[in-house]
Amino acid sequence: MIKQKITIQNSSGLHARPSAALVKTASRFKADFYIHMYGYRVNGKSILGVMTLAAEHGAELELEFDGADEKEAMKTITELIENKFGFEDE
Amino acid sequence: MNEPNAGTSKTIKGIPASPGIAIGKVVCVDNKRRKVLPRSIQASEIESQLAQFQRARDTIVAELGDMLNYLKTESSAIIETQKQIVIDIEIEKRVSAAIREELLSCDFAVYRTFCDFIERLKESGSELFQQRIIDLENLKDRFIDVICGNEASLEIEAGTILVTKELSPTELVSLHEKGLSGLVMEKGGVTSHAVLIAQSLDIPCVVNAKDAIKRAANEKAVLNGREGILILEPGKNELKVYQTKLRKLKKTQKRLLKNISEPSVSKSGTEFLLAANIEFESEIKFLKKYNAGHIGLLRTEGLLFSNKISYEEQTGFYESVLKGVDGTVTFRLFDVGGDKLNAKLPQEANPFLGWRGIRMLLDEENLLENQLKAILTCAGKNKGRVKILIPMISILEEVRAVKNVVQRIQNELSESGTEIDEHVAIGAMIEVPGAALHAEQLAAELDFMSIGTNDLTQYTLAVDRGNEKISGLYQQQHPSIWKLIKATAEAAHKVNTELAVCGELAGDVLGACGLFGMGIKNLSMIASSIPKVKEELISHTDEEFKQFADICISAATTTQIKEAFEDWRIH
Repeated sequence: MIKQKITIQNSSGLHARPSAALVKTASRFKADFYIHMYGYRVNGKSILGVMTLAAEHGAELELEFDGADEKEAMKTITELIENKFGFEDE
Repeated sequence: MNEPNAGTSKTIKGIPASPGIAIGKVVCVDNKRRKVLPRSIQASEIESQLAQFQRARDTIVAELGDMLNYLKTESSAIIETQKQIVIDIEIEKRVSAAIREELLSCDFAVYRTFCDFIERLKESGSELFQQRIIDLENLKDRFIDVICGNEASLEIEAGTILVTKELSPTELVSLHEKGLSGLVMEKGGVTSHAVLIAQSLDIPCVVNAKDAIKRAANEKAVLNGREGILILEPGKNELKVYQTKLRKLKKTQKRLLKNISEPSVSKSGTEFLLAANIEFESEIKFLKKYNAGHIGLLRTEGLLFSNKISYEEQTGFYESVLKGVDGTVTFRLFDVGGDKLNAKLPQEANPFLGWRGIRMLLDEENLLENQLKAILTCAGKNKGRVKILIPMISILEEVRAVKNVVQRIQNELSESGTEIDEHVAIGAMIEVPGAALHAEQLAAELDFMSIGTNDLTQYTLAVDRGNEKISGLYQQQHPSIWKLIKATAEAAHKVNTELAVCGELAGDVLGACGLFGMGIKNLSMIASSIPKVKEELISHTDEEFKQFADICISAATTTQIKEAFEDWRIH
């Protein structure tokens, strides 16, 4: 199991579309994926789970991956969040 | 003549959400949320209840899939999100547990699971999800209807104007099939999903209409989507005014769509070509509707943003775009600022004048070579259909440098036995004023040029188009822009180099007429602009276009051009 801390950089936070992008990407991997935030823990492959976090801009998350492809999953998801899900560009 | 709003009419006011006019009978539906009471099941029913849940899920996913065919690209993300909610693994886990372990009926298990999530979203108090809570409520109701076989969906006569609290996207699409002509909702914001879909389907829509259900009766009414009003019991004169408006609107739409299949020639018989600007694969399916056979601008930056820049990812995307049309595809090389490439770079003081477009690509050799290799390989498989467009050219040396890299990669591919298109066309964006003024020398070494009027305007008038304070200054139709375009057109003509325009000006009716008048007959625009541009270009003679182009050049102000255009087009 590996963990990684990360901050949400989208100005409008993890709203529906970024949540959808996050879940879609996470579902490509076999590894289990959980997100911790202020004591909550949700399934990162569940869009409703991710949405109930209501993570706003600047929220600090801890990502937890567990499974054969956990390293690759962590790299991909971290990049997705750092790239603001490809939405706010231009 | 009476004022449209005079007389006995009652008017319900809301917020305009989708333009257009509807005249029809009002049907009011006070849609209530479904309620399900807990019901226990026998252990022997577990499997059948689980299967019922799966079936309901498949049905809803299929319904959402059908809807995708109806919608414009921007609305399809909404449906994708809804699909993800329906197949959410947490929903499945909880529903299954409730059925298996608590022996609860499938409908109640679904009801309770959704209610839990909705509660938690409400508790989060986040503004982000107010619209999404409505979506969840709608999905919950839809689930329950499917499970319980409540297929008593609303039956309406064609032409009905529906007045309701709120509507789910699925309901709206199904009502559209039954001939819904207009929609008034008491709730809902202009960004609600139902509204985006109403816009996509050209259904006039007004939202936030307080007490509309109580006030509207089942009678004839007029819905004015642009003004955001529902007029009940319209007076005779008022009705007449709207009937005329509606007839005109319908006639225009019909004519525009009919024109699509007509040959693209001016009244003098001169051919022109209207191509499409696209960025995403999902846009391809709309090209046929507008009869766009060529892609005049394929933006590739999306690949960079989503980090899909491996050779395989690039060729995969390029191939599917090439499959999507029969004609040529103009590939614009990655056109971004350096900050998009490396977030760690310090912010530039003037990014629009900085390290971007081809300036950045020539420094980032790997990025440029990989992209060219991917494009050139596709060109070999699709001979004569691939054109390469270089962004942000300011001096000739940049053109030469790119051409050298292209030649080198072509040689490498050829040596490794890969088929190539030896005559692949290389062109440059003309978006820097200096390039427009120096177009003859550039054109002499290029196969084609494409004027990007958005950036050309920004650089010529020194106006940042993202800055609201000066948005009035951002005038694509300004005489100075026309002068640069004319200079470019003359240069291209002189050395016999093909010239196109791919900025917003090309998709603007006035702009297209002026461009045609300057001899530019190759225009690329958002596909949905093609019908209106075509309508105008087939309605005038070459001589008339020339006259209008002269006005554009000699006018003192943009306003003067706009006024002259209104005069010119009706003659």
